Amino acid sequence: MIEVKDLSIEIKDQHITKHIDFTIRRGKITSLIGESGSGKSMTVSALLGLLPIDAKVSGYVMYEGRNILDASVQEMASLRRQDIFTIFQDASNSFNPSVKLGHQLYTFSGERVGDTLDVFNEKMHVILDQLGLAWEVVEQYPFQLSGGMLQRCMIACAFYVEPALLIADEPTSALDMVLQKEFIQLLIRLNEERGTTILLITHDLDIVAEAAHEMAVMQQGTIVEMGTVETVFSNPRDAYTKRLLESRF
Amino acid sequence: MISKWVGKRMVMGIVVLFIVSFLSFFIMQAAPGDPATAFYGGNAQTLTAAEKERITRAYALDRPVAEQYLAWLGETVKGNLGTSSKEGRPVSEIIMERLPNTLLLFSVTMFFIVIGSIWLGTVAGMRAGSIWDKGLSTFSIATSSIPAFWLGILFIYFFAVTLGVLPSSGSSDVDGNGGVVDKVRHLIMPASVLIVTHVGIYARFLQESIKIENSQYYVKVARANGVTERSIRKGIVRNASIPYLNYIAITIPSFFGGSIIVESLFAWAGIGQLTVKAVATKDFPLLMGSIMVTGVLVVVTLFIVDLIMYAIDPKLRKGGVR
Repeated sequence: MIEVKDLSIEIKDQHITKHIDFTIRRGKITSLIGESGSGKSMTVSALLGLLPIDAKVSGYVMYEGRNILDASVQEMASLRRQDIFTIFQDASNSFNPSVKLGHQLYTFSGERVGDTLDVFNEKMHVILDQLGLAWEVVEQYPFQLSGGMLQRCMIACAFYVEPALLIADEPTSALDMVLQKEFIQLLIRLNEERGTTILLITHDLDIVAEAAHEMAVMQQGTIVEMGTVETVFSNPRDAYTKRLLESRF
Repeated sequence: MISKWVGKRMVMGIVVLFIVSFLSFFIMQAAPGDPATAFYGGNAQTLTAAEKERITRAYALDRPVAEQYLAWLGETVKGNLGTSSKEGRPVSEIIMERLPNTLLLFSVTMFFIVIGSIWLGTVAGMRAGSIWDKGLSTFSIATSSIPAFWLGILFIYFFAVTLGVLPSSGSSDVDGNGGVVDKVRHLIMPASVLIVTHVGIYARFLQESIKIENSQYYVKVARANGVTERSIRKGIVRNASIPYLNYIAITIPSFFGGSIIVESLFAWAGIGQLTVKAVATKDFPLLMGSIMVTGVLVVVTLFIVDLIMYAIDPKLRKGGVR
């Protein structure tokens, strides 16, 4: 679905990623794993066309046969609106603090797919119910809800939009263990029930083991290993991957 | 919830007015010379002993200062601001004649300052690094550095003396029958001076608030998820307007201070000019009355600004932490 080839990102003469290659296959959960500062989030920014203005980028991000690194700002905005949904790490700050959640959920989902408010209310009511959230959250402001509830609101939008690609950038790192498990189960459900392709960015191997089909290991701006989760876990070839796996047990 | 909030703000407003009354009264007392003589104003030499005795009794000038203050405050609360020692008319009557002009000048200038600064601040703030961004920074420093009286003199020289298109002073023609057009012609220069000297700095503040808001996490999330720039901009401006309104609230008292200079320069018949006149003639009842009314105007304006902030910021209503 997405093929990243020879992607290099440089900001202020500092190499963030160096000639990285990996593939996100349609209908699969692909995990990009690596320590903090390894370049995972900047890679996501490159996929979204949201790199800082001073970033120098080269290589290819092929999506539907086209290198989206060459797309204009407007084209990327349109692509994000039509095909991609992204869940970020800090759910508590992911919503505008001054606007009620109902309006923001509509902006993130119903309005995006062209639904009227009535249709949105009906569909979102069902989704929130399925995710264990009371409909009353739509009348609340973000600062009135916990991080876990807000992260579920985000995934509710993903359920609503059914994007071609869901990018989850460290979505569980601000959640406690119980909420982490719940959230990962929701991602798996989204993938299994709706066939959504997911790119899961994390530094947690347990999450990779539980959720992902394929994984790419990143270290200091390079991809050091890639394969199915089973292959990499059972037969790691790179020294860094081996160390990561050893530290897990 | 809102009644409790309004009640709290009203109590704060009353405390502010109490402090204003206290300071204005005791600054008068600290003025050089005999306070009683000061109360006679410019008429001290011509007053008879009987007239001096009447004024002394009326303002309790022969009693301790604290009693004089309480007597004056009690009358002020009842709406009796005393009698002008210069004009011999009730202070409230003189102030009511001037109040409409001050309100007109204030409301017109604030309207254009707010509209202009929101437009300039938004355009510049949303285009970081652009010519708008850098241009507004330069414009705001330049315009806020120009003293209002100097700009006013330039305006008078250019528009009244050289071009002769606008009246140099006053708030209406001598006969007072010029109607709305005449009022507007007299208003243009004093209002323009206040607008030019304030719009840049207000816009600059909003510009910086917008830049900060534009870098917030929720904006990044919204952009990543294809929310339209129009919706994002609306959210940014709304949130950036909260510190902007705070800034307006902080600067309102100094804005009134600036308008006193402008009213005097253009002989605009408002409270500001009246205050300067009262100082010049040592008309203390009129001066204290003018200061109190200016204090009320400031407190009422701050209350309106607070109400707008209350409507915009849900954290004020819901008790969250900003």
